[in-house]
Amino acid sequence: MARLDIQNIRKSYPGVTALDDISLAIKSGEFFTLLGPSGCGKTTLLRTVAGFNSHDSGEILVDGGRIDNVPAHRRNIGMVYQDYAVFPHMSVEDNVGFGLVTRKTPKAEIAERVARALALVQLGGLEARLPYELSGGQQQRVALARAMVINPRILLMDEPLSNLDAKLRVGLRDEIRDLQRSLGITTLYVTHDQEEALVISDRICIMERGRVHQVGSPHDVYARPATLFVASFVGAMNVFRDIAVGPGGEVRLGSAAVALAGLAGRSRVTLSIRPEDVTIGGSPAGEGPALRLEATLRKVTYAGRDALYRVEGSGFAPLLVHLYRPDTARLAEVDTRLTVTLPVRCLHAFDATDERRIDLRP
Amino acid sequence: MKNARVDVWTLVLAVSVGVIGVLLVWPLTSIFAASVIDNRTGDLTLDNYVRVLTRPFFQTAMLNSLIVGVGGMLGALLLGIPLAVLTTRYVIAGRQFLSTLAVLALVSPPFIGAYAWIMMLGRNGFIRLGLESIGIEVPSIYGFFGIILVFSLKFYPFVFLLTASSLGTINPSIEEAAEGLGARPWRRLFQITLPLVFPAISAAALLTFVLSIADFGTPSIVGGNVRVLATTAYNLFNSEMGGNPGLASATSVVLIAMSLVVVALQRYAVRRRNVAGALIRRPVPRRLGRLASVVAHVVCYSIVLVSSLPSLVVIYMSFRKTSGPVFQPGLSLDSYAKIIREVPHVIGNSATYSFIAVALIVIVGTGIGYLLARRETVLTGALDGAFVIPFVMPGVVLGLAYVVTFNVPPLELTGTATIIVLMLFIRRLPYTVRSSVSILKQIKGSLEEAAISLGAGPAQAFLKITLPLMLPGIVAGGLMSFITAINELSSSLILYVGRTMTMPVRIYLSVLDGEFGTAAALATILLFASGLAVYLIFRVSGRNESAFV
Ligand SMILES: Nc1ncnc2c1ncn2[C@@H]1O[C@H](COP(=O)(O)OP(=O)(O)OP(=O)(O)O)[C@@H](O)[C@H]1O
Ligand SMILES: [Mg+2]
Repeated sequence: MARLDIQNIRKSYPGVTALDDISLAIKSGEFFTLLGPSGCGKTTLLRTVAGFNSHDSGEILVDGGRIDNVPAHRRNIGMVYQDYAVFPHMSVEDNVGFGLVTRKTPKAEIAERVARALALVQLGGLEARLPYELSGGQQQRVALARAMVINPRILLMDEPLSNLDAKLRVGLRDEIRDLQRSLGITTLYVTHDQEEALVISDRICIMERGRVHQVGSPHDVYARPATLFVASFVGAMNVFRDIAVGPGGEVRLGSAAVALAGLAGRSRVTLSIRPEDVTIGGSPAGEGPALRLEATLRKVTYAGRDALYRVEGSGFAPLLVHLYRPDTARLAEVDTRLTVTLPVRCLHAFDATDERRIDLRP
Repeated sequence: MKNARVDVWTLVLAVSVGVIGVLLVWPLTSIFAASVIDNRTGDLTLDNYVRVLTRPFFQTAMLNSLIVGVGGMLGALLLGIPLAVLTTRYVIAGRQFLSTLAVLALVSPPFIGAYAWIMMLGRNGFIRLGLESIGIEVPSIYGFFGIILVFSLKFYPFVFLLTASSLGTINPSIEEAAEGLGARPWRRLFQITLPLVFPAISAAALLTFVLSIADFGTPSIVGGNVRVLATTAYNLFNSEMGGNPGLASATSVVLIAMSLVVVALQRYAVRRRNVAGALIRRPVPRRLGRLASVVAHVVCYSIVLVSSLPSLVVIYMSFRKTSGPVFQPGLSLDSYAKIIREVPHVIGNSATYSFIAVALIVIVGTGIGYLLARRETVLTGALDGAFVIPFVMPGVVLGLAYVVTFNVPPLELTGTATIIVLMLFIRRLPYTVRSSVSILKQIKGSLEEAAISLGAGPAQAFLKITLPLMLPGIVAGGLMSFITAINELSSSLILYVGRTMTMPVRIYLSVLDGEFGTAAALATILLFASGLAVYLIFRVSGRNESAFV
């Protein structure tokens, strides 16, 4: 268990800046996730912490001590890979015991700790198997046990679930979470799956093109996205770009208008709202001001527990409305006219040029 | 902070650069220097080149080299491509048997083939006499006919193996699509299939050309009065010790240049052809109609059996009764008794030198291969480039370069066993480096990183994880190196002294002296050693014929 500080890390490859001045403070015992689209630099950052990439400048500290000048094998950092990286020529037992053998741990202790680690990842009884005799999920459990058995100061995981099928992914995701909680290992986790990040993390760092957009709890990131990029990358978002703002903060969507004090003094703004915050029909009682838009239903996507309406109207971009537990009998027909309500307290506003969040309720 | 760290691999890199520098770059520089220096005055001069390029004596040699190079290449393509197409696309009984024989033909030294063909088609060759008795005249084996015949039958397995393995990776849907669009078999072959395997065919063509112009033993045994560059360089150098090092060196440089031009041409020809596609199904051989099938079998078996003929003749001759240099009717172990009596040290030398060279090749080649595959830097890039040199440097040239470089201090090695071992080492090293690079590309880098993150140092991670996974490939590569090392003739011929004579050198000298019995017995031992290595390669690599190219 240890604190991890990443300070001003930069790394460029010819033609790309993979990491552009990244600074993160990860607390002891925290489950911290790097989330971002493909190519944003997640793996590069993770491998820099592990010691497999050289970086151009910046420092990495564990519990206040610099580690970026320590060779990878002396950093005591466990790593779990997307492709498992289970040693194909060694049994499950030897794989898990590998790190202990390199540490010259006594034989009896190795046996005991390996057995405990295998029990923890529910692989008891498979000690003698070779990797090719295991399923993908089992191989990843071996990798997990192998990384944890050495009691690493930090555990790094690079998309450990992305090679597994959907069901297994959810199961192992919860197991990893529980295991990490009970052992309290500081964990730096990489994924590009936003749902996975929200479910598993204590805090999430959202990256794009080598830069940090926001660091915060899953709730922070979802409910108060710091940039338009975060807003659209995490969860679904209806976006109305580049809307004119009146002198007192008035904005207009279609035929509806509302004054937003937080926008006073600006000339243009980008507004957004999540599909699940939009309602169909009149205003719910006592919910404050709202924008009511006249629109036409263009498409209905039914998915059992949920349904999505796609509606269009004049003077605003088409938008999605999320219906939870829809009543099939009452789903509207395509081309019906309806009113959609956008409660003002659910609106997000972003600067039209730098796309940073504007607080509407200071 | 840039955290470039010093670890074991930095050391390996330093050693490799040293090895390449001393054993490759330095000799190459020396021979180049010798070519631009006047023998008597020691002045800088282009005289040697002017002479090589203008005198009819050299022009003829150059032209002859070109003729045997192109001839050997065309012959090999003509035999190798049909064999590859027929055995991969159609049902041919005994495919494994055919490819095993082809591999065996590949690993027997070319000069043995040359000498066996003399016994078959030479002035008193039994086939010639047989054919003449029924009234068929065969052209003289001495000259272009013999050289090109030997090269074609010797080098076609390269074409066969490379093309067949490439044919095996073509998505069958492509050929089926062509058929569905109405292309008849011949059209499909020439417009779809062969263009798709063009990179493999051109690589094989390049290889056979380079090997043909580099070969020394064949033209000097069956060449008659056809002089090529390789034999010319050797004779110039050998006419008396230090006969004419300047001219010999200039000839060598021209020979290297010829190979380089062909390498460049081939790279240019395949520059925009990357046809590797996703392979969902493997091609399935089809059945031919009865008549076509008979023809296909006759073609395949003739090619392979004729190319195995020299080895069979040599083995048979080694057991013939002899009296002096003359064969007598009946079988005996005379020839073997004679070599054990007269030249036992030659067999010992060959075995010892080859083993030591192979051990060095395996250790150094694996290390360098690892550097090239896993640590990309400017220096490793240069190292990779340097490995083209031995590929285009004929044995004769390397031998000459070694004599020029190592007959004076600081490293005076001529006449020692060391120089022969080093020469064997450097000649085969690039192949091992290449093969370890390709083996490593199939082993995921994350495995080794995982070991390092678990606390293993770089050396330990390599030894415990990567090396065991590379082992089958390394062993196969090592055995292949052993085959080439033990069969090496041309550079040994230049570097040997009585004490350090090897089997190929002895065989060559015996053939020149007309001691065919001794030559046959030694050649049989060589064939046997090579065959054993082939068997072991099949064992470790699970019958993967591509281990041989
Ligand atoms: N060895 C390298 N040489 C050159 N560029 C590289 C190298 N490694 C990574 N990059 C580049 O750096 C950027 C970040 O790559 P990185 O692998 O960290 O992305 P990632 O966020 O892990 O993406 P993914 O989700 O696809 O795994 C990319 O633009 C990538 O092309
Ligand atoms: Mg990645």
